[in-house]
Amino acid sequence: MSETVVSPTGWKPNPRAARRRRADHIATAFGMVMAGILVLVLASILWTLLSRGLSGLSAAAIMKPMGPPGSSSGLANAIVGSLIQTFLALLMATPLGLGCGIYLSEYGADTNRFASCVRFVSDVLMSVPSILVGLFVYQVMVAPFGHFSALAGSVALAILAVPIIVRTTEDMLRLVPTSMREAGAALGATRWRVTLSLCLRSAKTGVLTGILLALARVSGETAPLLFTSLGNQNWSFSLNRPMASLPVTIYQYAGASYEDWVQLAWAGALLVTMGVLAINIAVRVSARRG
Amino acid sequence: MTPGTTQGMIQDSMMTETDPQAAKSPEVALAVRNLNFYYGENHALHDISVDFPARRVTAMIGPSGCGKSTLLRIFNRMYDLYPGQRATGEVIFDGRNILEHDLDLNILRARVGMVFQKPTPFPMSIYDNIAFGVRLHEKMNKADMDARVQDVLTRVALWNEVRDRLNAPASGLSGGQQQRLCIARSIATRPEVLLLDEPTSALDPISTARIEELLDELKEEFTIAIVTHNMQQAARCADQVAFFYMGRLIEVDSADRMFTNPKQQQTQDYITGRFG
Repeated sequence: MSETVVSPTGWKPNPRAARRRRADHIATAFGMVMAGILVLVLASILWTLLSRGLSGLSAAAIMKPMGPPGSSSGLANAIVGSLIQTFLALLMATPLGLGCGIYLSEYGADTNRFASCVRFVSDVLMSVPSILVGLFVYQVMVAPFGHFSALAGSVALAILAVPIIVRTTEDMLRLVPTSMREAGAALGATRWRVTLSLCLRSAKTGVLTGILLALARVSGETAPLLFTSLGNQNWSFSLNRPMASLPVTIYQYAGASYEDWVQLAWAGALLVTMGVLAINIAVRVSARRG
Repeated sequence: MTPGTTQGMIQDSMMTETDPQAAKSPEVALAVRNLNFYYGENHALHDISVDFPARRVTAMIGPSGCGKSTLLRIFNRMYDLYPGQRATGEVIFDGRNILEHDLDLNILRARVGMVFQKPTPFPMSIYDNIAFGVRLHEKMNKADMDARVQDVLTRVALWNEVRDRLNAPASGLSGGQQQRLCIARSIATRPEVLLLDEPTSALDPISTARIEELLDELKEEFTIAIVTHNMQQAARCADQVAFFYMGRLIEVDSADRMFTNPKQQQTQDYITGRFG
């Protein structure tokens, strides 16, 4: 013999449930509206960029170097200058950031005073205004030598990239389970062997992502280059002299009163944005592969 | 297995049993004497003394937190990875106390292999998973390495399943295959002792059965210490069983006697499922 359970409230409508449901609807709507605003802002930026930039983006803009107004000049030297400086910056920042991230994750336990200090400094460095980094490098690498240089610009960019690489490397390595380290050690592998061959290998996608994110971050930086590599109207491949870069050129041209310079500034802005977009897509692809 | 063969190898630290044959134990791979272990302030193992007979399977049983895994991790000094953990007493292996500070841990771990609860394939190919450990200790040419890889994979009954995809990532194997790969990886460095920390607790019954069969074959060559929560597994695989409770060794005896006629009430209660 079984009895059907009868609830005391039964199917009567519950005012509290209705209130909760209403609150749920409101919260959902709020979130959607906010997300919509964000997408709208981003879309309008992209739209402006595309509509103003595309018209200026000609073969000449990419192939020809900068020149005086009205001379059908381009951005070629700024594009190449940007590539050289960001690449050089990454070349300096990657070993430093990787090494530091590995140290913090594998050797810098939370109880380690020095490691906590390094971690703190690195995190602070991540949020330091980039113009401050530019000023610092100016004091150290420009003022003493009496001239601006591409190398100084690269160093400034590298300083901005390092903390990003440190943080992602440490975070990604910490995601590697302890069991992996124990399994490596149990075979008689030394600690550095476990770190390099096992941990870094498991985390390589994440670590690579961090490096690409750092690249994306610094490739649009203007402030640290203003007092370091300065900019250059002409072709220059010397690291010891001022070198043009896209962000600085955009800064100089966008405010100019010459129509063709403004046009080129928009084209340059579009190029930087597309570059960053390409890097972000690369990050996603590499993350998916991993 | 006849009771007579293991009888002489059994020693009881609690001195409840005075086996006259204990004195002439033939071969002891690991001799634990007055071992104490501390996680910081926490005294986890109390005065353990027990022998692990060579080329036999010794199962360590007991409720969670009783110290059986802790003891296992002392035998390859795994605890050295963690500051604040320390052991006192003696664990004699091949004439040396392995707790000594100046012991070369990499050599110890080549001689005392370990398989963990969860399969831990390395982020590389099946082949390299095995070659990785071998390369740490031996220099050998490709042909010898190929032979070694085939040999150990055959012994864990994995060769036929993976022979065509040795260069595929090990992460693509099933859980049971991964665990057999880990065992292959451990025996590839030719250890003398194999430590197994609940090696089948994450596996399905079929994979478990295969690994248990494997233990039977491996014990002809290796001294095996296995931690298990599974009483049937201990009864099936082990020659000797040690029961731990709250950091103390309560009783150690042949598997036969342990499961039919334990001397201690606590052992009796545990193996009949009254607690734990």
